[in-house]
Amino acid sequence: MGVVALAAFCGLALGVAALVVSLALLAGFQTHVRSRLLAETPHLLVTPAGRGPFHDADRIGGKLAAVPGVVSVSPVARGRVWVSMGRDAAPAEVVGRERTKGLVLDVAQARPLGVVPGDTVTLVSSRARLSPLGPVPIVSTLRITALAPSSTGRRAAEASLPLDEARRLFALGSDGATGYEVFLKDPSKAKAGAAAVAAALGPSVTLTTWEEQNRALVLALRLERFVLFAAVFLIVIVAGLNLAATSAVLAATRAGDAAVLSVLGASPRTVENVFRAAGGCVGMAGTLAGVLLGVAASILLERLGLVPLPAQLYGMSHAPFRVDPLDVGVVAALSILWAFVVATVPARAAARQPAVEALRGA
Amino acid sequence: MAPEAAALLVAEGLAKGFGAGDARVEVFRGVSLAVAAGDLLAITGPSGCGKSTLLHLFAGLDAPDAGRVALDGADWATLAPAPRAAVRGASVGFVFQFHHLLPELTAEENVALPLFLAGRPEQGSRREAREVLDRVGLLGRAAAFPRTLSGGERQRVAIARAVVRRPRLLLCDEPTGSLDAAHAAQVFELLAEVAKERAGAAIVVTHDPEWARRCATIKLLGEEGLSDVVGTALPVSPRG
Repeated sequence: MGVVALAAFCGLALGVAALVVSLALLAGFQTHVRSRLLAETPHLLVTPAGRGPFHDADRIGGKLAAVPGVVSVSPVARGRVWVSMGRDAAPAEVVGRERTKGLVLDVAQARPLGVVPGDTVTLVSSRARLSPLGPVPIVSTLRITALAPSSTGRRAAEASLPLDEARRLFALGSDGATGYEVFLKDPSKAKAGAAAVAAALGPSVTLTTWEEQNRALVLALRLERFVLFAAVFLIVIVAGLNLAATSAVLAATRAGDAAVLSVLGASPRTVENVFRAAGGCVGMAGTLAGVLLGVAASILLERLGLVPLPAQLYGMSHAPFRVDPLDVGVVAALSILWAFVVATVPARAAARQPAVEALRGA
Repeated sequence: MAPEAAALLVAEGLAKGFGAGDARVEVFRGVSLAVAAGDLLAITGPSGCGKSTLLHLFAGLDAPDAGRVALDGADWATLAPAPRAAVRGASVGFVFQFHHLLPELTAEENVALPLFLAGRPEQGSRREAREVLDRVGLLGRAAAFPRTLSGGERQRVAIARAVVRRPRLLLCDEPTGSLDAAHAAQVFELLAEVAKERAGAAIVVTHDPEWARRCATIKLLGEEGLSDVVGTALPVSPRG
């Protein structure tokens, strides 16, 4: 019995440890992706609900800044242009921001045009101005100051340029904006922030949280987490079935003791509980050992950087491991619950075994 | 025969057999008896004549093929498993031929086990267990595990466990069968004393002629130790 129980204990411990380490690795990667996403995506995007841009007279910026939890508010001017250099031209999404100097193209936008920092390109707006010859497109010539690496989370490649230049390109006037980018103190509370902003500004604006702007990526991250959890939890399921076999052996070898308990006045339910607890205890011990092993391994792998990665590809020198207490709690709770569930069947069989049969056999 | 109204245990027309069809073996039939509080009864007979089976029927652990067993007026057959277990725990003590102590528990915990199962508080249960262990002369071995006890000591612990809840009926299945003559005599004396002090009545299955001499005796007669056993006993107060 000792060896059988030890095998079940080890199986469960290794399964739980594998699950904890896998989830820590996934959480590490996802935290990295999320922090990059939050650095480059406004936590809240405020755009007009109807037609037409915002203007200073709307006092949107001031109202936004007064909302609790808001750290910064910047007006932006967004639109589509043709970027041309020589005979090459390509459409591009551009956004004007206050602190941008020159034109910063996304690598994906620069590649088809073959442009590099230092080149001068022409932006042709879809908006027109009236001239003596009739309407002509608004044009701007800008020097490329930098190329931005294509980001993980961005919906589409976009170029940045100074806000005033964008206002001119899109004929927004000197104080117009197509929206405001809002950064919050706690981006994980973006939904609550959106509700507070909606309360402050009323129905004249449309609000998009960073999660909504990157819906596909956020959903993919969640799905990835669920799929990995389900796949690795199969190990725990199998280890748990091993525990069921252990409990069955226990019930068979200790049938005499179950009979003695019945003789001493234990009800069938009590006998069942005793055997379930015995199997469950092996499960709890295995789970606890697995949690300790998994957490210790994750911390060591993170601290010592034992899984190296090509830095230029991933933006980090080693695989990140981040132990999320909630993940560990869920793993431990499910593993222990499963151990008790699988121990129930043999425990029930032990309780239903007539005491006299075991006494005659003893 | 003790009048049924005053009887602690009443068995009427008990029959029991095992197997089915041609392979069926009838162990006994027509066994009737009544045991009153204070009775000390020995059941003797050849091996296989159904002595242990009879004890199992008395304890409500098995059901007879015919007849009925009632303890304090309650027919075992009318009780559902959980209340039957509760009645058994409260009213019946059982001593086996082989002690059947739980190896993971100390002597004190083994003795306290029926109290734990009854939901009594731990400290009080342990105190009571030590009192009974003291009575059987094993207080000094309270913390010992069964594997470190001698055969006689184990059986004394088992007796202490059987009487710790002061059962109305003490059933003993060859309690000295695994002991040598000297230890058997000691355990026998102890059992008789403890049964008188802490139990309402006692029924002992035994091959020991000394037991049979000192108790009211019912003898199950077996033809080649098997079927056609008919016994009707009218137990009286112990002679010993």
